[in-house]
Amino acid sequence: MHEASLVRSLLNQVTDLARQHGGGSVTEIRVEIGPLAGVEPLLVRSAFEQLVCGTELDDATLVIDEVPLVARCETCGEFAVDGFRFRCPGCDASRVTVVRGDEFRIASFTFAETAENPI
Amino acid sequence: MTPVVAPVVTSQTVAVNRDVQSAARAAAARLRAEWASRGILAVNLISSPGAGKTSLLEATACHFAGKRKIAILVGDLATDRDAQRLAPLAPTVQLTTGGACHLELPLIQRGLDQLGTLDCEFLFIENVGNLVCPASHDLGEHVRVILLSTTEGDDKPAKYPKAFRTSQILVVSKTDLLPYVPFSVEAAIADAHSIQPDLDCVAVCSRSGDGIAEWCELLDWHRAALNSPKPA
Repeated sequence: MHEASLVRSLLNQVTDLARQHGGGSVTEIRVEIGPLAGVEPLLVRSAFEQLVCGTELDDATLVIDEVPLVARCETCGEFAVDGFRFRCPGCDASRVTVVRGDEFRIASFTFAETAENPI
Repeated sequence: MTPVVAPVVTSQTVAVNRDVQSAARAAAARLRAEWASRGILAVNLISSPGAGKTSLLEATACHFAGKRKIAILVGDLATDRDAQRLAPLAPTVQLTTGGACHLELPLIQRGLDQLGTLDCEFLFIENVGNLVCPASHDLGEHVRVILLSTTEGDDKPAKYPKAFRTSQILVVSKTDLLPYVPFSVEAAIADAHSIQPDLDCVAVCSRSGDGIAEWCELLDWHRAALNSPKPA
C-alpha cells in the first residue's frame, strides 16, 4: 500500500541529486529491493510509471534489481536466508545479522550530458 | 560547406547507495535519542485490527496507575473511539490517518505537538491495525511490540515475517479464548522465534489482567536498559 509514497520520495531524491550534478537528463534509475524490504517490485514499477509522468525524470528508465536476503553468522559467514528462517545452515545458530535484502535502496542513477561539438 | 554540428552525448552514472527511507530513519533516530535522554521509553504497538491493542493499553494504564506516568498516541483510519477509551486513563491524542494504513513521522510529530511537554516514563504509540506497512516505518520507538491474538491463528508469524523480524516483544493476547480456538501459544512463539530469536514473549488476557504484571515488568526492564549499550 505504501509503495506510491516511497516512489514519490525516490523521485524527489533523484531529482535533487541530479540537480546537484548539473541537472542533465536522467536516463536510468537503478534500485535494489530485497525480500524483507516491505515493498513489492511490481507495485513499485507501476507507481513509478504513474508518478514519473510530466516530471523532469520523465525520460528515465527504472531498473529494479531484486536482491536475495542474506544474513551473516559470526562463526560461518554469510548465507542466503530461505523462507525467512533465520538459522545458519552451517551451525544452526539462530542469532544472525541481516546484511542484505531488507531495504529498498537507491543504487545509482545515470544522466546524459549533451554538448555541441563540431565534426 | 557548413560544418556539421552533432550533439555529443556522454552519460555519467552516480552511485547513491542509500535507503529510500534514509531521511525518515535519521529523523526517527533523532526522536529516539531525545526520548532516551529524557528517560522516556517509546513503544510502537502493531497488530492486525482487533487484536486488542487498545485493551492492552487500558490494562497497562490501570496497572501503572499511580506508579508510572504514560502518554498515548493512538492511530486509526477514522473516529476517535480509541482516544475516548484511553483519555480517562492517560494523556491521549488520537491520530486519524484518513486512508493511510500506517503511521508516519509527520503524524507522530503532530500528535506530540498536541500532547505538549512529555512528562512521562512511557510513550505508547498504537499503530493502525495492519501487520504489513507499519513494519516498514520507524517511528522513533525503542521497542516495537507485536500483538497476536489467539483468534488469529498460531501460523501468523511466518506469513508476516517483516513485522515479527523487526519487533522486540511478542504479546499473545486474548488467552481467555484458548479453550475455544485451535491456537497453540508454544507453536506461535516457536514460529516467531524462528524469524526473530531475540523476541521477548508474554501471553496476556487484558480483560482478566492475566499476564499484565509480567508485561509491565518487561516494559520496566526495557526502560531500564534505555541508556545501556546494546549489541548491534
